[in-house]
Amino acid sequence: MPVERLTATTEEIVNEVSVNPNREADRLLVHVGRQGGVWVGVLALAALATAAAALALPAVIGSAANAVLGGHSAGVWVLRCGLLIAVLVVCDALDDFAAGAAIARSTAGLRRGVLAHLAALGARPLPGLDAGEVTARLVGNAADAARVAPDVVRSLAGLVPALGAIAALAVIDPWLCATFLVGLPVLVVALRVFARDAHEIAARYLAVQGTIAGRLVGALAGARTIAAAGTADREADRVLRPLPELHRHGVAMWRAQMRITAQDAVLVSLLEVAVLAVAGALLAQGRISPGELIAASQYVLLASGIGGAATGMTRLVRSRAAAARVSEVLDQAPPAYGAAPAPAGRGRLEFRGVTASAGGRTVLAGLDLLLPAGALVAVVGRSGAGKSLLAALAGRLVDPDEGEVLLDGMPLAELSRRELRREIGYGFERPILIGETLAEAIAWGADIPSREAIVVAARAARADDFIRRMPAGYDTPLAQAPMSGGEAQRVGLARTFAHARRVLVLDDVTASLDTVTEHHISATLTGALADRTRIVIAHRASTAERTDAVIWLEDGHIRAFAKHQRLWRNPDYRALFEAREEPEGAP
Amino acid sequence: MRLRALGRVLRPSARGPELRRLALWSLVEALPAVLSGLLVARAIDDGFLAGDTLTGVAWLGLLALSVVIGGWATRQTYLSLADVVEPLRDELVVRTVHGSLRRSTATGAVADTAGVARLTQQVEIAREAYASVLLVVQGFLVTAVGALVGLVILLPVALVFVVPPLVVGLALFALALPGMAARQRSSILADERIAETAGIVAAGMRDVAACGAEEHAADMVGAHIDAQARATRELARFTALRTVAVGIGGLVPMLLILAAGQWLHARGASPGAILGALTYVVQGVHPALQKLVRGLGNTGLWLFVALGRIVEATEAPGAGITEGPERSAGAEPDGHEVVLREVSFGYPGAFERVIVDLDLVIGEGDHVAVVGPSGAGKSTLAGLISGLLEPERGAVLLGGVPAAGLDRRIAGRHRALIPQEAYVFAGTLRENLAYLAPDAPDAAIEDAVERLGARTLLERLGGLDAVLEPQALSAGERQLLTLVRSYLSEARLVILDEAACHLDPAAEARVERAFAARAGTLVVIAHRISSALRARRVLVLDGREALVGAHEELLARSALYRDLVGYWGGAPPTRDAEAGAETPAADRAERLPARPRAATPSRKRSHGRQRRRPRRRARFE
Repeated sequence: MPVERLTATTEEIVNEVSVNPNREADRLLVHVGRQGGVWVGVLALAALATAAAALALPAVIGSAANAVLGGHSAGVWVLRCGLLIAVLVVCDALDDFAAGAAIARSTAGLRRGVLAHLAALGARPLPGLDAGEVTARLVGNAADAARVAPDVVRSLAGLVPALGAIAALAVIDPWLCATFLVGLPVLVVALRVFARDAHEIAARYLAVQGTIAGRLVGALAGARTIAAAGTADREADRVLRPLPELHRHGVAMWRAQMRITAQDAVLVSLLEVAVLAVAGALLAQGRISPGELIAASQYVLLASGIGGAATGMTRLVRSRAAAARVSEVLDQAPPAYGAAPAPAGRGRLEFRGVTASAGGRTVLAGLDLLLPAGALVAVVGRSGAGKSLLAALAGRLVDPDEGEVLLDGMPLAELSRRELRREIGYGFERPILIGETLAEAIAWGADIPSREAIVVAARAARADDFIRRMPAGYDTPLAQAPMSGGEAQRVGLARTFAHARRVLVLDDVTASLDTVTEHHISATLTGALADRTRIVIAHRASTAERTDAVIWLEDGHIRAFAKHQRLWRNPDYRALFEAREEPEGAP
Repeated sequence: MRLRALGRVLRPSARGPELRRLALWSLVEALPAVLSGLLVARAIDDGFLAGDTLTGVAWLGLLALSVVIGGWATRQTYLSLADVVEPLRDELVVRTVHGSLRRSTATGAVADTAGVARLTQQVEIAREAYASVLLVVQGFLVTAVGALVGLVILLPVALVFVVPPLVVGLALFALALPGMAARQRSSILADERIAETAGIVAAGMRDVAACGAEEHAADMVGAHIDAQARATRELARFTALRTVAVGIGGLVPMLLILAAGQWLHARGASPGAILGALTYVVQGVHPALQKLVRGLGNTGLWLFVALGRIVEATEAPGAGITEGPERSAGAEPDGHEVVLREVSFGYPGAFERVIVDLDLVIGEGDHVAVVGPSGAGKSTLAGLISGLLEPERGAVLLGGVPAAGLDRRIAGRHRALIPQEAYVFAGTLRENLAYLAPDAPDAAIEDAVERLGARTLLERLGGLDAVLEPQALSAGERQLLTLVRSYLSEARLVILDEAACHLDPAAEARVERAFAARAGTLVVIAHRISSALRARRVLVLDGREALVGAHEELLARSALYRDLVGYWGGAPPTRDAEAGAETPAADRAERLPARPRAATPSRKRSHGRQRRRPRRRARFE
């Protein structure tokens, strides 16, 4: 089966990189297999019936041939043969359909499950998994894992004709079986050696291919520079420089492939000739009939399908590896939410003995902090001081290792998810907009605000103007709404404004806005949103200056909690803002 | 039309010699397929049934020999296949690279990096699928046609029982194929949608959680997951139909031969001939048909979907995207004065124009800063002046020639655009810096490095021969390198499009001064208002209006400009302040607002640059 093998090599390489089959993966596979439901059962029955019919067919053909050659009426045997063929075709077709249906169910079920789990995990980081890898688990790996039930059923059912054919050879004559069994090991060993070789070549091929793709993506990121310089052709040449090497590895892959395939075909055919020769000798001695000879030649083919069991195993290994990768996502325990509604209050936020870590390092230690309702505070500190972690803790995007955070006297962990998100909102420096249209990108959240509320929020974030200029205004699909960074940031802010009822946590939201826009947004923060508690991570002195108080973080502690004007006298404090502007490469 | 485009890519005629070689080896490879039934018949009739085992074994020995020869030919056909498939892959890669670079750098284009990553994958799919299709078709021809040829020699009358069902089976498969292709395509599309939406959600989990939009996000992806499952189920239905086609084409002939066996026997067909005929069907036609149907049904469809994608993405020019109008191609600008006459511009699909009726002349040697709120069209203006965008109405002239019509290489000698997203590639530092001036001597490079304040960076990276790792550089470092690069270019018109936004104010000031001191015109799209204070003239853009003038003039005339400058301080900074003060304007502008007294002590490190500054002062008198 050269075709299947060719496509398998590269995929297998990719999957074998982190083959780490474990119990979790197996448990997941069982669960996924069950999701195929009734179709798995149908598949098993159809596969077994197909296997049985395939096994019986050569014997029936042989008997029919004997009847024909013996001059008897072959009608009965031909009829049986026809019935078998009918069973074979119908069951095989049913097998195909049931497998497809089962895979469709399992895949959708697993993907839905992973998706729900991802949603439940929320902002909790998945160790070592970036968005691309998470997506790969949801798309490719989930699909691979979901093939498990059909793969298992088919590998097992595939053993029936193979083992049955070996037995059938023995029944016809032990010598035939012996001939086959002696030849078989040669076949297996020969195939093993070359398969390994092919993997290495495929890995080298993939590496060069990755280089070219990487260069191209890099060049496209600089498309404007290349366009301006008129160097597109030069860049293409630079990107394509490794192409001859790719070609070489590609041809090498074919060579390896050629060895396997040619070897495979020759060995099976020779095995068949050998069995035929023995069968012929037995025929000459009158120990078997001509029909049995023809049956034997077919049984050899069925029996050499035992090699297919190895393919089945490879697939199973692949499913298992894929399941292990999917498990990496599912293993992360999602946070538990309480069921309580938010208590009465206007947004008093309190940190009590909060210790929290990020990336295995304790970043904040024993933090105590009380923010009165309606306060506008800035959080400052060197990078790594824990500003973002503090912000994440304030709305329970992460949980503290010790201590607790309370909103109007109630620990955040006791609030229901919906209440929590409704009361505390976030604004990010680089928001990622989710939704089909601009209106959805602003509206999606714990509550769906009315169109009027969306427009009000957009206006407050200075986004209404340019949204109205879009082809379909608020209903413009996100994919067709080309936005600059500043514009996306304003839509993100509108989203925040449309939701947070009591507390707003803003992570350096005005960093890439122009002066006028920033001014207006600051005005919104101190005007229309003045009744809410506002926490702003500030990188600029001018931002900190406009707040009621500044939380100055240093070495996991609060070094000071005071007004900016008072802190400004401290050179260490001033240095904070200078250092911010020290670029890595500048003098 | 689409098929013709695919045909152009595959171009069987261009691979004539390789395909002929493939055909030739296939003839040899077919040897065992042709001979199997014949030799088995002989072995049975002349040998085993005649009681002469040796003769039988001898005939089978010939069969073994033909198998070995066939195996050897298989190796050769594989190598011929490699010679057909690998060049196709090369060509697809070249197409992809050139096509995506051309599209991304064409007038008015937007680079689609994610799309290209997908495209690279498609190339690989196309390669494997193309190989599979060739293999499967070649295999079918070798085995099935070989078997039929053998059958003609052995027992011609048996063709009556074999060919009709085979044709029916093939026809049934051909009928099912379009439906399968459609399902396969929608399944692939659904998969891509899942990847797309899941990618957005996975990247935005922080946002999803922070908004409490978990259910919405799950639904957005879930809809595509369900669509994919539906497509898979429908595809399975067609797969079942395919299996029926194999049954009819491969198994029914066998049944017919058996049913007609007595009749054949009576007409003089030997037992060996009947068994040989069965061998041809059971071991030739049936498995060959099975492989053909499976192969074409799976990978063949992938080939067409993938090739279609590649052709679409690399061939069809998107609406409104061109390499540049023909009219001034080859023309050489006379000088580098920039003239915009009643220029209007809007992005395709956008409702309102970004720039409306703009008139502007930037004389040689001028230094203009462009300021305005985000979305006001500052970068668009940079694109228009440099000719990367073509005005919808009006004219943009560079040295008297339409800027967008210039040959890009010629334009590159007259103007340099440095965008915000700094492009640095994996190559030596020298290659990167001399990108726009490949012949620049090291001394000139070193001089530019010195002037722009990149010495420390250059040394840290290990000198001009050091190989860069773009990912290892910060955004500011990358910008500094591209600024040095542009400084070295021979272009007299330099457009900095927020090109120093990741540098700190002092470094940005140093860079801008170095460029201002360089012979020629400087246009700065300002990221910080301090850029305006350094310029000779300022252009204030705010979407519908544009105003140009000197700093003081604009303070008097433009409320927006007063806003822009005023928000930085109670007392608007003036040129006098910039010219006379100890601190550079950048710092002053930032510090003045809150507490002027704090400004001076906090900025000691920038004092060293004073000596170089006064050169520019002459301009303002």
